[in-house]
Amino acid sequence: MLALGDVEVYSPRTVGEALEILRRRAGSLRVIAGGTDLVVQLKTGAARWRELLNIYGLDELRYIKYVDGEVKIGALTDFTTIHESPIVKSTAPVLAQAAFEIGSYQIMNKASIGGNIVNASPAADSLPALYVLEAVLKLETLDGFRTVPVKEFYKGYKMLDMRSDELLTEVSYRALGDGWVGEFFKHGLRRGDAIAVVNGAVLLKWNSVDGVVEDARVALGAVAPTVVRAVECEKMLRGSRLDEKTIRECSEAVLTSISPIDDVRGSAAYRREMCVNYVYMTLWSLARRLGM
Amino acid sequence: MGGTRILREFRFRLNGEEVSVKAPPAYTLLEALRYVMHLTGTKDGCSTGDCGACTVLLDGRAVHSCLTLIAQVEGREVITVEGVGENIPAAYAEEGAVQCGYCTPGLVTASAALLKQNPKPTVDEIKEALRGNLCRCTGYVKIIKAVQRASGDV
Repeated sequence: MLALGDVEVYSPRTVGEALEILRRRAGSLRVIAGGTDLVVQLKTGAARWRELLNIYGLDELRYIKYVDGEVKIGALTDFTTIHESPIVKSTAPVLAQAAFEIGSYQIMNKASIGGNIVNASPAADSLPALYVLEAVLKLETLDGFRTVPVKEFYKGYKMLDMRSDELLTEVSYRALGDGWVGEFFKHGLRRGDAIAVVNGAVLLKWNSVDGVVEDARVALGAVAPTVVRAVECEKMLRGSRLDEKTIRECSEAVLTSISPIDDVRGSAAYRREMCVNYVYMTLWSLARRLGM
Repeated sequence: MGGTRILREFRFRLNGEEVSVKAPPAYTLLEALRYVMHLTGTKDGCSTGDCGACTVLLDGRAVHSCLTLIAQVEGREVITVEGVGENIPAAYAEEGAVQCGYCTPGLVTASAALLKQNPKPTVDEIKEALRGNLCRCTGYVKIIKAVQRASGDV
């Protein structure tokens, strides 16, 4: 473990000040939010930044609000707050559930949704939920802002559509209408606090008149360089009746969308099997909730 | 790592008192507490946020002091095991919930965070709240009893 005695830390008091420092020092510093992963990376030497922009004090980036059918979450909002938010619980229970599975309370209390997004781990627990919600990210600079759909934000393993003078300030999604049910799943090696071996989120829009799936969104984590949508699986789910045969075939179809690797948490073969099994269990659980 | 050591002054509330500490800004809160302020109740277990031994309360909520930079507590309130009061440590002692004792300060502070939010937790709620704290002597049964005792529920 390295001591961080010679790392410089800038602690701006406003977002404007943070953006100024980012522009001035673009490329030579790393933004630190909750720091629950970045501090580990710095201590182990996996990240070697000599300057940090500490935005943890920017309380103006901590909020969850509902505006005209859209939910806006400030980038520094921590996962305990997201998990407990009545707005998130009613508009996107799948995100509230993912927020709880992130880790221990010590992690949930400190880690932020913005940090989880920019840290860009393919195993990040909030990402499958944000993928099925088709969330949009707001990136600010001194000159203004732009928005990017979460799916387009990731260009490859830890490669982001983000310039070094940009700051992620907000995540937003459209509140889910009636008929949607969703569930997040995670397989970790320890229940209380673990990095996912596989994780994912499933959202289904159920047409109760015809008794069929009207729309389906399935996102899978830790099984590819970025989180992926299981396009083939989604296609097969649409229009289906969620019977045993459909559920089995749809969960096996995720194999066409994933390309897992071997690592310390599990082998590629194990990940493929667990990914199929978890999608199978999640679809069954949703079918039961729909009264099938 | 070589280089010049940067020193800054940070002010925050610690166990009910305004304090200021001179430390490198990227020192962790844990390092500042133990090595600069010589407040050694808070323990360094894994240094990576997995074991919970270094748990302190930041603005009333449990966080890892090993993953919190001293620069991140400026103007905020920190409570360590030295500042949680007598009730919870006494309950741990009475239930014999301490074996080697290394995880105890983290468990006591995590218990304090739980009881502040939920004064009468169920066993499941206690397990959930303490899920980030490892006891490698594996004395979890007595730890849960200690939290129940501290909540007045024995």
